Amino acid sequence: MAIKRIVTKILVGKNPSSSNIPGGQQRGRIWITAAVAAGLQVLPGSGVWAQEALKFGVADPLTGPSAIFGLDQMQAVRWAVEDINAKGGINGRKLEAIIADHQAKPEVGIAVVNKFTSVDKVPVFITAFSSVVKAVASIADREKVLMLSVGANSPDIKNLGDYVYTMFPLADIDMKALGAYMVQKQGKKRAAVLYVNHETGIEGAKVFAQAFTHAGGEVVLNDSYEETRSDFTGLVLKVRAANPDTIHIHSNVSDFTALVAQMRQLGLNTQITSFQTAFNPKMIQEVGAGAEGIIVTAMAPSSEDNPNVAGYLNRWQQAYKREPIGLPYTQYFHDAPYIIAQLYKWVLDRNLPVIGENLRKALLDIKSFDLPLTTRIVFNDDHTVNSPTYFWQVKNGKFQVIGKQ
Amino acid sequence: MTVDFSWEIVGQLAWTGLATSTFYYLFAVAFALVLKVNRVWNFGQAGMMVFAYFSMYVALQWWAVPPLVGVAVGIVVTIAVGVALEWFGFRVLRNRRSSVLTYFIFTIAISQFAIYLGEMIFGAAPKTLYTSIMSPVFLVGPIAISHWDLRALAVTVSLSLALAVFLRVTKDGQSLSAVADNSELAEVYGIGLDRAYAISIVIAAVLVVAGMYLVGTRLPMYPATPLNQFLILAVIATILAGIGNVFAAGIAAVVLGMIQTFSILVISSTWQILIIYALIFITILLFPSGVVLKPPWRKISRAAEPSSGAAVIASSPSPANGGRPR
Repeated sequence: MAIKRIVTKILVGKNPSSSNIPGGQQRGRIWITAAVAAGLQVLPGSGVWAQEALKFGVADPLTGPSAIFGLDQMQAVRWAVEDINAKGGINGRKLEAIIADHQAKPEVGIAVVNKFTSVDKVPVFITAFSSVVKAVASIADREKVLMLSVGANSPDIKNLGDYVYTMFPLADIDMKALGAYMVQKQGKKRAAVLYVNHETGIEGAKVFAQAFTHAGGEVVLNDSYEETRSDFTGLVLKVRAANPDTIHIHSNVSDFTALVAQMRQLGLNTQITSFQTAFNPKMIQEVGAGAEGIIVTAMAPSSEDNPNVAGYLNRWQQAYKREPIGLPYTQYFHDAPYIIAQLYKWVLDRNLPVIGENLRKALLDIKSFDLPLTTRIVFNDDHTVNSPTYFWQVKNGKFQVIGKQ
Repeated sequence: MTVDFSWEIVGQLAWTGLATSTFYYLFAVAFALVLKVNRVWNFGQAGMMVFAYFSMYVALQWWAVPPLVGVAVGIVVTIAVGVALEWFGFRVLRNRRSSVLTYFIFTIAISQFAIYLGEMIFGAAPKTLYTSIMSPVFLVGPIAISHWDLRALAVTVSLSLALAVFLRVTKDGQSLSAVADNSELAEVYGIGLDRAYAISIVIAAVLVVAGMYLVGTRLPMYPATPLNQFLILAVIATILAGIGNVFAAGIAAVVLGMIQTFSILVISSTWQILIIYALIFITILLFPSGVVLKPPWRKISRAAEPSSGAAVIASSPSPANGGRPR
């Protein structure tokens, strides 16, 4: 509407609502106006759009220890939004991401989501990090705003309410697969399980331990540590005393590196496993040879499975001369705006009000989304999605795919 | 789920615990020295640690200078911060005859400001002084000994010896002891109090830089770690050692570090940090005068000194001693 008003003002010299031009002449000018507006709206990248932008919120850590992931995830979102808008947006309307920093802290997340719903009035937002997702879920339900979790993996997330959906496979998929894989394919029998004492660590480690035991292995040590810990001497020696043949670490970004470095320093060269948080080229750089052999899970296709991923990696190389930190996470973040765009299109095509309730209806109706980097995502009735689990291992200083389940 | 610890593991715990306690030792000695000479519970030392760390971080990571140059940058910056703290902070408060509570609030605010500044400029993510924190390791029997362990012990022993020699042999060192014993009398004998206070801060700054270098070459550090962990341990060690016993405070810090390390034998790793807080309560409630035994002649000669950490914390400055807390 805004563009129509502006163009009409240029042509008519007045606000269209107060025009007193005779009928035929007015109709003619309106046709001209419409034609100009239509011309502008089909010029991708012209910076001028037919109507108000379709907004969605994105809350992720942009500062703090987890920002190392959040910053790259936001770049993926920006590129996706740019690409969608470059192709004409959604029915001629621009898609716009309102990005905010939740520092991976629940209390900050609540403030951010309150702003999304009460100030920005977005009908849909995406966020990540299990503790934050759990904290803000009740706001999404209360305000009837659709929330897509992208990256949080606590299995509890599927039970958080009608408006909370995850487009990211939860830990009960990849950790179940990893536990079994380590026993059946890698021949491991004794696991030490270490985890950071918060939502992600507790739940992920629990699923891994259950799966490992279920597959015939034995968990010989199950211990946790606090989030801001940096000296792991005692814990490492406790692991050494337990004499495991594999160590699973369900951690944050930075503590994984410190923990592995201190293990190697104290002569503990046992096989280590982790999840997508450890999928981090910087970790390999910091731990050096000590990173060799580490196995991590990923829930997004590799470039061998999806050629678009190679192009995406090239884009990173051209822009930043490196791979993204936490590649699989960024793939999901990249694809989230494509899901939102399809939801908006469904609502606009039916001339429904652009509100959270209708976006939720769209999600339930469409269910299956074909996406550039994560290929196809199908939402289950229990608000989750399924995905194959990819196993990657550090070999010669690089992550390489060693299996898929 | 129980873990059986062999003697090899206990030996490794002892060695690594000793090596990682070296920076606790340095921080405790720095804290105890300033308390002894300047009569200030310098909680601002955590702020000095932050400045020390990030000045070395900038020099080593951004400018890629050699280690000694990086440490020199850290020393210059930290001394500047420490001396500024003494001249523009403690001296002003001293002249105003401010209460102990004012010193406490002022120094805590300084540390919080430094942490905030560090987080704002460098981010809240943990950082190491070098890209890789791996240090070569060799085995002595079953015990893994890293080059870092040896370097940490060598630096700590060398600085301790140098400080002991400085305090006993040099004129400035002796003047620090004189000011610590009785500042009014020392002034009568021509010892410059401002100079003595500045010297103790400078020494503390050097010890802090050495400690932070050791930290940053072994562990990732969050800007808030100095206040949350290192300083608290230094305070407990100082109280345990008895006020005025600088080197004993360092030894108490090593003992505390070892207790924390060995606690893994009986408790979960999650609870290890809580041990520090438990020790604070136990120390203040049960050992307010410290647990380090002193020879009888020391007790007599220092009878006029505040013997209780808790007493010093609670005492108010008296106009009779120039408003300095005693």
